Amino acid sequence: MNERLAQLYRDRPRSRFLRWSVAALALLAVGVWFTGEIAIGELFTARRADNLERFLTEEALPAPMRQENPTQSVAAWFGEIWESRGREGLLATFWISWLAMTLAGLYALLATPLGSRTLMAQDPYLRPERGRGWRALTTAVRSFNVLLRAVPEYIWAFLLLAVLGPSAWPAVLALAIHNAGIVARLGSDVAENLPPRPGQALRQLGATRAQTALSFLFPQAFGRFLLFWFYRYETCVREATVLGMLGVVSLGYWIRDANARDRYDEMLVLIALGALLVLGVDFLSWLVRGWVRRAGIEGPRSRGSRSS
Amino acid sequence: MRQGLVLLAMLLVGMLAFLALDLHWGGLLPTSGGWEILGEFMSAAWQPALDYETPNVPRDWLPFTDQLLDAAWRTIVFAAAALGLSLLIGSPLGLMASSLAPTWLRVPSRVLIALMRSVHELLWAVVFLAAVGLNTAGAVLALTIPYAGTLAKIFSEMLDEAPQSPYRALHLAGGTRMQAFFAGLLPRAAPDMAAYAFYRFECALRSAAVLGFFGYPTIGYYLRLSFENLHFHEVWTWLYLLVILVILLEAWSSALRRRFVA
Repeated sequence: MNERLAQLYRDRPRSRFLRWSVAALALLAVGVWFTGEIAIGELFTARRADNLERFLTEEALPAPMRQENPTQSVAAWFGEIWESRGREGLLATFWISWLAMTLAGLYALLATPLGSRTLMAQDPYLRPERGRGWRALTTAVRSFNVLLRAVPEYIWAFLLLAVLGPSAWPAVLALAIHNAGIVARLGSDVAENLPPRPGQALRQLGATRAQTALSFLFPQAFGRFLLFWFYRYETCVREATVLGMLGVVSLGYWIRDANARDRYDEMLVLIALGALLVLGVDFLSWLVRGWVRRAGIEGPRSRGSRSS
Repeated sequence: MRQGLVLLAMLLVGMLAFLALDLHWGGLLPTSGGWEILGEFMSAAWQPALDYETPNVPRDWLPFTDQLLDAAWRTIVFAAAALGLSLLIGSPLGLMASSLAPTWLRVPSRVLIALMRSVHELLWAVVFLAAVGLNTAGAVLALTIPYAGTLAKIFSEMLDEAPQSPYRALHLAGGTRMQAFFAGLLPRAAPDMAAYAFYRFECALRSAAVLGFFGYPTIGYYLRLSFENLHFHEVWTWLYLLVILVILLEAWSSALRRRFVA
């Protein structure tokens, strides 16, 4: 028995490439701390400690709390930030990310069927062979998706801000372009991974490609698609906040503004507002997906939501 | 039916956003100077710079190609350090947030994960910048917080999704929870977890590059400088460098994935 186990252990699949890769990665992850590039020691010098102490005990505290005779209450202080910048920034962040994701979603609705190799064949779901034309189409769509998402959104925003001038468009378009590539790719993958039987049945009954797409592909892929859409939306909200630091009037704009004026208490409040928005969006996504699922469209509760 | 309603609602809110942001279709047209910038930028794509576009660079700067390698190396260092630390924190946190953990541990772990994830890494960077000043270790920590949270969230989901029966069987057969976990559950989830960690390394590279926008010496730092000086040929060189890094990593990870699955 034990000998058999030892035999099995000796014969286990091994890959030299795998071992070297793991070793190299581990070495890299540990080694970088010793390159001197990461000034971990410098983080604990007296000067840094002073900085940190001043930050935590003074700068980060709401202004009325550190004054001897506060001229206003903490609530009034917060109300002022909320009225003058918080609400506007919060709403702008919400709208920018939603519009961007609407545009990305519209593109994805179009690109999902066009990029799915199961649907784009001479005889979808019935015969696997695909002519050169169909193959060229899906390759073109998928390569375009890669192109869209290859450039980080900050860089798109930077360029578009210079080209279009100041408005919300640069942020909206930057987020839309980057996310269109991601959502379309995820959508196509979902569509291809659907169990093909219902599609085959429809086709055998004489349904055309468009009919099959409308009555099988879209309804079946919708639940997963929605999950991915909301996952990207949540990411988008975070990024819309940050893009404000490049000059679009979202929360990030006011965060940078407070930072530049050394009003760290206000900065932290604005960052916290952004975090609340993300948590709220998370909750909204959970509500909507539950509501759609309860209609029984997603079929049996799919295990797993390998999303982020 | 509900699908249609959801789509319609999305579109309607999208239109509302259009109105609320006070957008105009005219805003989509480049400004007069914008056309010029766009044209120059696009035509520069075919001729990435191989040297500085101007002779007057600061005296202490490296030659251009050395600068490229140096920035690429620093970007990798930031990303690797942050991801290594994230794995160290995220793996146990993921286990604590999975349904293997008792409720009193699971619930606070999930709250912690949500809080870590709810603030963008660049905002953490700004906070650390304010709290301790410009320090590379601070930047690594800024990347680590949301990355560890995301890894923990996904790891916990993967552990929950992996087939549970081997774990239960081993536990019932007399194995300790620890043994059952390491022999029955983790091996099933590990390839997915490793593949995901690789994907996050790719994201970390991008984030580390963008961190340069705030003054850390990664690719983004030089990208921003080149952009602000309208040196578009240089901008493209930096962009290509970033894309090459990501593609190399992707090739490595997909080669690994093939061996994992096989």
